[in-house]
Amino acid sequence: MSPATDTDLEAFRAEVRNWCRANVPAGWRGAQTGVSDDEFVSFQKAWFQQLRRAGYAVPHWPAEWGGGLSSAQQMVLYQELAAHDAPRLVLAFVSIHHAASTLLAAGTDEQRRRHLPAILDGEIWCQGFSEPEAGSDLAALRTTARRHGDTFVVNGQKVWASGALHADWCLLLARTDPDAPKRRGISYFLLDMRTPGIDVRPIRQATGESHFCEMFLTDVEIPAADLVGPENAGWQVAQETLSAERGMTMLELAERLGHAGFGWLLDACARPRPDGGRPLDDPVVQDRLVELEIEVTALRRMCRHLVERHDTGGAGPVDASIVKLHYSEVLQRLTDFGAEVVGLPGQTVLRKPVSSGWESGAWVLDFISSWEWTIPGGSSEIQRTIIGERGLGLPREPAVGP
Amino acid sequence: MNIDLTDEAQEYGRTAERAIEAAGGDALVQRAEADPARRGDAAAVLGELGAWDLDPLGSDDELEAAAALCRAAGRWAVPYPVAERLSRPGDLHVDGLVVVAGPAPEAPLAGLDLRWATIDLDGRCGMATPRPLSVPARKAAFVTGLDLEPLDEGGSPAAVALGLVLGCWTLLGMLDRAMELTRAYVVERHQFGQPLSRFQGVQFQLTDAEVERAGVEELAGYALWSIEGQRPDAVEDALALRLAAVEAAEVVFRTCHQLHGAIGFCDETALSWLSRYSQPLRRLPLGAAATRDELSRRLGRRPLAGLFDGTGAGW
Ligand SMILES: Cc1cc2nc3c(=O)[nH]c(=O)nc-3n(C[C@H](O)[C@H](O)[C@H](O)COP(=O)(O)OP(=O)(O)OC[C@H]3O[C@@H](n4cnc5c(N)ncnc54)[C@H](O)[C@@H]3O)c2cc1C
Repeated sequence: MSPATDTDLEAFRAEVRNWCRANVPAGWRGAQTGVSDDEFVSFQKAWFQQLRRAGYAVPHWPAEWGGGLSSAQQMVLYQELAAHDAPRLVLAFVSIHHAASTLLAAGTDEQRRRHLPAILDGEIWCQGFSEPEAGSDLAALRTTARRHGDTFVVNGQKVWASGALHADWCLLLARTDPDAPKRRGISYFLLDMRTPGIDVRPIRQATGESHFCEMFLTDVEIPAADLVGPENAGWQVAQETLSAERGMTMLELAERLGHAGFGWLLDACARPRPDGGRPLDDPVVQDRLVELEIEVTALRRMCRHLVERHDTGGAGPVDASIVKLHYSEVLQRLTDFGAEVVGLPGQTVLRKPVSSGWESGAWVLDFISSWEWTIPGGSSEIQRTIIGERGLGLPREPAVGP
Repeated sequence: MNIDLTDEAQEYGRTAERAIEAAGGDALVQRAEADPARRGDAAAVLGELGAWDLDPLGSDDELEAAAALCRAAGRWAVPYPVAERLSRPGDLHVDGLVVVAGPAPEAPLAGLDLRWATIDLDGRCGMATPRPLSVPARKAAFVTGLDLEPLDEGGSPAAVALGLVLGCWTLLGMLDRAMELTRAYVVERHQFGQPLSRFQGVQFQLTDAEVERAGVEELAGYALWSIEGQRPDAVEDALALRLAAVEAAEVVFRTCHQLHGAIGFCDETALSWLSRYSQPLRRLPLGAAATRDELSRRLGRRPLAGLFDGTGAGW
């Protein structure tokens, strides 16, 4: 990590600013609203390459793999990208975060050499963890992988795999030892999505999009070389990489919220209504804005501390849970308030630019999709349980079964 | 006073609920969305039950029957403006009446070959021509802009109150159903080797939502009674009901989605449809903040009479 004095950071900020001015595509929001899937994918890929050339695509990766910015620099980068309303890396999200942190934490050198550069070249990943019977209780997953010599043969069904339709590779959890206790019989695989036997079907959502997919796996063969970590240690690998990835992703989202989302909310409050008044002149609105500002500021500090503590190995067992819980609830409150402020005309905004953040200024749609946030990656209930049990040392919920 | 529906009205509601179920139930809205020409399917079924002969302001029995019918329609997210048709004024030659507000009135009236009147919160009437949908029904839930032509005749406060209150009864039916679906789901869905309903964190969320829903049920009865009694506060009571219903809908749908997990966002679940089709009812003619604003503007510093104004004999 480069030592970050304040002067260095200011110089870096100036560099990013200049880059943003020269590179953030003008008018991308309008151009990316209501586009086809193909256009979305090619826009995302092109933007990724642009960021990559500048060294901004994977700042959180180690330097040897193309990253190497300090936490402080990452914060500056994300602040400036947000402030210049740059598109977000939506399509590559799982690739640069979940896949990379898995490979870095538990992959072999060979696996890293094969995939990390490929991710930089545009390889897209999805996550195949959840199953119909295994949501919050992920360890109950039933997809099986049976070893035959140097291959595993996989059968089962996955659900809610975001972006699986566009994915080249999938992070897959499957049961390799049906007789072991639930958490000790799972293995972690890298699955090439071109392998025969994979059937991906989009699921239509309430928002009208098909953002996540079902995956049916029938006699899908995975070479043993694509196993990550030891056989039957997949649960432990997943636990480690899930929390490793959380700090980085949250940092970016929190900076977006602070710099772009909150700013748009202020704009919306300052816009005169047909009767000439502005929401901002209403003391109730001012109060709410102050509350939200405090919450967002606290969130940004928490994210920063999480990343810093993670760098130094000092992160506590529930820090990531607290951050996720707080972010998803602040996001909901902020987008809810946005929807209230823009009032009825806001209801007529039916599309939002696909490459934007969770808060895009299409407040009603943003609010509806913010509801998704309290479910994946450990729902709010599960996060509270973790905080209660592991953080506060409260008794565990009575559980049934193994 | 008695704010419960009569046994006859409740029985009528149950009959309507079964008839709608027999005609397709949840599939009605799904079919209508795929083929908007089928929006009227439910109208025929309700017509056979005499729905379109009801004159809710004509007698208390008919008013209560209309409320029960709206609630039944809400349970199945019937893609048809049932409350609007039942609000039809006797003296105008129209098929239905819709309460509007604001400079760009909208209502879920797209794609029906019917004549519509409008009334605003101050009782000014107009004739409305719904514009054709410019986006698919899936996005708009059949909500479209209305071209208005003002009429000289003014409508009665009772007509305003009726339009608002029947819409809330439809929303109440949606909340009833969302709660039932979610209760059934958490009892059935197992995670960690037990039904979700075993977790107190799940139970408490559902009970909090039920408290909200039950509150709307009470107020819905009260606002109806206020119309029956031709009380001077009928419009304010209707607005108070509307505010409570819209706020409760936020809590109920939020909780129901959360407890359904990812599946609640998908078309496979009835919850997803109910939640989408509850949107027009929650936003039109006024959303929560605008309803609160209108109500406080009307009341000033005067409180609502409510149940305990000294004349509430029988309580
Ligand atoms: C937008 C989105 C994207 C997703 N993307 C992916 C992806 O890319 N890959 C992937 O593998 N999965 C993905 N998922 C799936 C996600 O991980 C699961 O939805 C999540 O684990 C919850 O599981 P479930 O939906 O089955 O809900 P359930 O586990 O059935 O939970 C239903 C409700 O019960 C509550 N509950 C469950 N257990 C308890 C308990 N012990 N105590 C109290 N309450 C409890 C939950 O909090 C929730 O409110 C995604 C989900 C969403 C919504």
